[in-house]
Amino acid sequence: MGLPAAPIVTIAFKDLALTNAAKRGMPLQRISFTPHPVWGKTDEQMYGYLEGNDPVSGKQFMKEVVDSLTRPLTEDEKKSGTVTPPVGAPTFAGTVDSLQQYYLDNGMTDFMPIILPTQEKVEAMLKGTSHQPDEIVGKMTPAQGAFPPWSYTVRQVAVNAVMAGATPDYFPTILAIASTGISALFSSTNSLVSAAVVNGPVRDKLQMNSGVGAMGPFNQANAVIGRAWTLMSKNLDGGGIAGETYMGSQGNIINYNNLIIPENEKDSPWPPFHVQKGFKPAESIISFFFGFGIQQGQGGRGLGVKPIPLYHEAMSYNVAPFASLFGALFLLDPLVANGLGDLGYKTKEQLADWLQKKTTVTVKDVKSMLFSGLPRGPEAASLTDDSVIPKWARADAYNFVVVGGQTNPYHQVANMSYRLSVSIDKWV
Amino acid sequence: MNINRRKILTMLGMSPALLADAQGKQAKTAKGAAGAPKIEALNPRGMPPPITLVPMAPRLSSLDGKTIYLVSDGFPGADVFLNQIKIWFSKNMPSVITEYRLKAGGFADDDPKLFAEIKAKGNAVIMAIGH
Repeated sequence: MGLPAAPIVTIAFKDLALTNAAKRGMPLQRISFTPHPVWGKTDEQMYGYLEGNDPVSGKQFMKEVVDSLTRPLTEDEKKSGTVTPPVGAPTFAGTVDSLQQYYLDNGMTDFMPIILPTQEKVEAMLKGTSHQPDEIVGKMTPAQGAFPPWSYTVRQVAVNAVMAGATPDYFPTILAIASTGISALFSSTNSLVSAAVVNGPVRDKLQMNSGVGAMGPFNQANAVIGRAWTLMSKNLDGGGIAGETYMGSQGNIINYNNLIIPENEKDSPWPPFHVQKGFKPAESIISFFFGFGIQQGQGGRGLGVKPIPLYHEAMSYNVAPFASLFGALFLLDPLVANGLGDLGYKTKEQLADWLQKKTTVTVKDVKSMLFSGLPRGPEAASLTDDSVIPKWARADAYNFVVVGGQTNPYHQVANMSYRLSVSIDKWV
Repeated sequence: MNINRRKILTMLGMSPALLADAQGKQAKTAKGAAGAPKIEALNPRGMPPPITLVPMAPRLSSLDGKTIYLVSDGFPGADVFLNQIKIWFSKNMPSVITEYRLKAGGFADDDPKLFAEIKAKGNAVIMAIGH
């Protein structure tokens, strides 16, 4: 605009504000800070912030704001030109122990020991794909719009894959994840999580576990592919720096290796998820979800009914309190999926239609829920607080993946939305 | 919370010492026990885009009689906070004219219409990020 500006940020976002201003070309931007939060404070408390001191600079707050707009610029503040942020030397040398410590100290790990990415191991990893080492795979950012995206090559993805403990067979799947540019460590104060559903022959080729304990630490491919996603989300885009490029207030344990879910296609009564999305059964596909997290389905209404659990009713009950900002991803043990088939749901789409119609909330409830919005459009005008409306307006907000080992007819459900599906075969 | 201006300049490669590190072809040495065998391992980081430095806009000599737009990013609390700033100016610098506006879109989105209005009618901006 060419006009002087005085940005004001709460102190919780100090590192984020300072580094982001720098990354956008104004490393000396005059930012003033208030205590945190301003949300929920009284007028008197907020006015007190103005008369008090900036907790970072120690200067009287409003004097500093006025000064920001009127103090003449220094020569450094007038600088133009281009700089390239350094990311360190191409290689690091040391003993095994000192290198482990070096990667850890420099924020390149998930704070657990890594496989050191020696030239030899990286070259072996690169044999897992026909793509050239210097080919650009994609661009990733810790948060779209907030941070400029970084780009990365097949070789840089391979370095992270080695660090996670991957074998070359896993590499095409890891490249497919990288190609989407989706960070598993999206920077939101909401501590969001990501999931990836794996379909097709790759599940068997990598001996992934879609049965007993599929989503737990019981299989190398499931675990390591997810860990590689987290490491890539730290290293390929400068993400995952707590307080700077990651702002989740509490964090989320799922971020350690994310939800990697090979669908149990063999024991499912329905076509697999990727076929729902238009792919062929013989294609290896990875599909991405994003949202608040996951919960167990036990205890839902209907599960105590004898002799047969009313699975669909329990599912509806469990998602009613969800935030409608994200949809519902049901992870159904094959016992549940087949039970639903016996109840008449011959396709996942039929089940989604029933849930969309039967899962309802009142307008009053929606108004009291964070991250839940009321319908828009002409029909919204006639709604009252007592009006009953669908939890989600569209049936495709409900997604289903069959996973588990049939030790009990349980489901889990994530407050997560589908994003996209990409080919793994393309990266072989 | 340990970021400061010096560290930021360093992160941007504006420190000669770090620039030498970034551009050097020599391996960075991690300190280790003397005598233990040494190996080399690769850097896992991607490639950040170059940063174009943006010169800051010239400052005003005084705020007397000037119009300052108070812009909220839409996060909770920013609107109420900016209203307190409006009150502060009316009490302490009454010649300053303040205009409150809510920026359209998400916190990182541009609002060309609003920024055009500010450029045409305003002299300065105070932008508050709520939370």
